[in-house]
Amino acid sequence: MNNKVRIKAHIFLVISLLLLAVSVNSAAAKQPQIELEGFWVVLPPTVARSTAGYGIIKNTGTEADILLGIRSNAGTVMLHKTELSSGMARMVHMDSIRIEEQSEWVLEPLSFHLMFTELCPIVFIEGGRVRLLFEFEKSGVIELEVPIKSNW
Amino acid sequence: MLKKLLIITFIFIVSHLNIARAEDSLPILSGVGGEFTAMNADGIEVELSSFAGKVLVIAFGYTNCADICPFTLGYLKRLYGELSVEEQQMMRMMFVTVDPEYDTPEHLKAFIGHFNKDFIGLSGTQEQIDYIVSLYQAEYNRLSVLNIPTQNIRRVTPKLFADEKSAKEDSASLYSHSVTLYLIDKEGYTRSLEYTGTPIEVFTGKIRQLINEQ
Repeated sequence: MNNKVRIKAHIFLVISLLLLAVSVNSAAAKQPQIELEGFWVVLPPTVARSTAGYGIIKNTGTEADILLGIRSNAGTVMLHKTELSSGMARMVHMDSIRIEEQSEWVLEPLSFHLMFTELCPIVFIEGGRVRLLFEFEKSGVIELEVPIKSNW
Repeated sequence: MLKKLLIITFIFIVSHLNIARAEDSLPILSGVGGEFTAMNADGIEVELSSFAGKVLVIAFGYTNCADICPFTLGYLKRLYGELSVEEQQMMRMMFVTVDPEYDTPEHLKAFIGHFNKDFIGLSGTQEQIDYIVSLYQAEYNRLSVLNIPTQNIRRVTPKLFADEKSAKEDSASLYSHSVTLYLIDKEGYTRSLEYTGTPIEVFTGKIRQLINEQ
């Protein structure tokens, strides 16, 4: 009888340990993996007060992440979306961006884009480069240097 | 995958239909467009009829637009570049501002000139602009910065480069506006409504057709 109880206790212990191990393992493995691809910023006319930036934010990880903010040496950066409806274009500010696991967020003309204002004139020159700091909730700050190009 | 394939097939078919249609005469779109007066880049009043004999492409927008207006002007630059020098001389690209208060003729000239020196920026009084907008059945709406959440940006860059003046300027208005590109014939009639997404070869085909019309 004692043996049976002992065996059951051992089995229970082993199963519990296994479950714990699986749980810890899966929690440890779940994390976002952010990759920033193909970013560039439009060279604005010298008299322009704003310009746009485009690229792709990829999350190849196993957990979602949230883009908290973007900073730059080129000016103030906002995340906007151009919404086209009934022949009208409207600019909408995006408050937060959640990049789900195994997904990507494409910023492209006439859609999501980085909007730069308060432009720093010494940065915006032909062939220049812009420093961008993307701050994610889980992945932290990712720094990127991207080219300035004409949009044609 | 299947969805993408269907979309590509649809675009292909529509493009080819458009090319085929481009061969037909473009109808006059009555009720869209007409004679107007505006201020050109040199501050001189011009009328639509001042450009009689030229094919025109008219776009509406404003220079504080970060995405669609510069993208459209870039698109028009590519379109213009596809035309021969002789064809370019037979047509004009026009950008009419919906924000004449900020987009003065001088400012427009500098902005538009970034894309192509031949492009024409039109400004004027608010009444003149509103009249042109109504003629072309276009629309625009002023979105005060105070009325959109843009101001409530989370964690934006500290205003490293901003002084009081630029901070004041950056509270200037934003607009929603029509994105139609109006193709006008040599007599001032509107003949086709296009968009920044119109395939370049389709658009240039229509421009050439109007250039060659007797």
